[in-house]
Amino acid sequence: MGIRLTRRPLSIAAAEAALDRSPAGAVVLFAGRVRADRRGRTVVGALQYEVDRRPALAALASLEREARRRFGARGVVLWHRLGRVEAGGTAVVVGACCPHRAEAFDAARYLIDRLKRTVPIWKEERARSARRPPRRRARRAGRSSG
Amino acid sequence: MAGPIHVRLFSTARVALGRPSLDWPAPGGGVPARVLVGELARAYPPLAPTLKVSRFLRNGRYLRDLDETVLAGDEFAVHPPYGGG
Repeated sequence: MGIRLTRRPLSIAAAEAALDRSPAGAVVLFAGRVRADRRGRTVVGALQYEVDRRPALAALASLEREARRRFGARGVVLWHRLGRVEAGGTAVVVGACCPHRAEAFDAARYLIDRLKRTVPIWKEERARSARRPPRRRARRAGRSSG
Repeated sequence: MAGPIHVRLFSTARVALGRPSLDWPAPGGGVPARVLVGELARAYPPLAPTLKVSRFLRNGRYLRDLDETVLAGDEFAVHPPYGGG
């Protein structure tokens, strides 16, 4: 339950529920969503994620152990989407349940930072055209201001 | 009988070659990873820049160094820099 690589949508509520089984005072959850960044005349419409599953699962398991050892985490969530995720969709959820808030914040930050650097997951942008305001309206506005 | 090395390509490595894997002939005693990577770079020039920044796995385990021998029948994975999240 703590580690998940899935093509299904991720839910913060489900992650919180998973951590509810770990009795401790502080829960910190982080959700990373796909940004619709502009790329010239296009915007990022979606990201396509791929994974090398076996080493990825081993790396995630190692991160979970590390969070328990370094921060005293009683529960850990490391969930990542695979396949296509539309802009605005949640691509990753990490969370930690620790006795106190400082460790929980540190653990969650550690988990997302290390996940991005050490887990064999890659993303590829899928562009869509950026809709511009209608040209006619822009011209009119230009004339009226002159 | 020596079989090929099964090379798996991810992300920019896959895009550079336009396919997710290839089979590479291996001598009976295997080949040092350094030599294999050099052969791949020469055979597929678009792949060369990615190989310079990639990590490599043999049968699912990260190579400690490029002197490690890759044997016929092994799986050899090319991992460009990661980008999850």
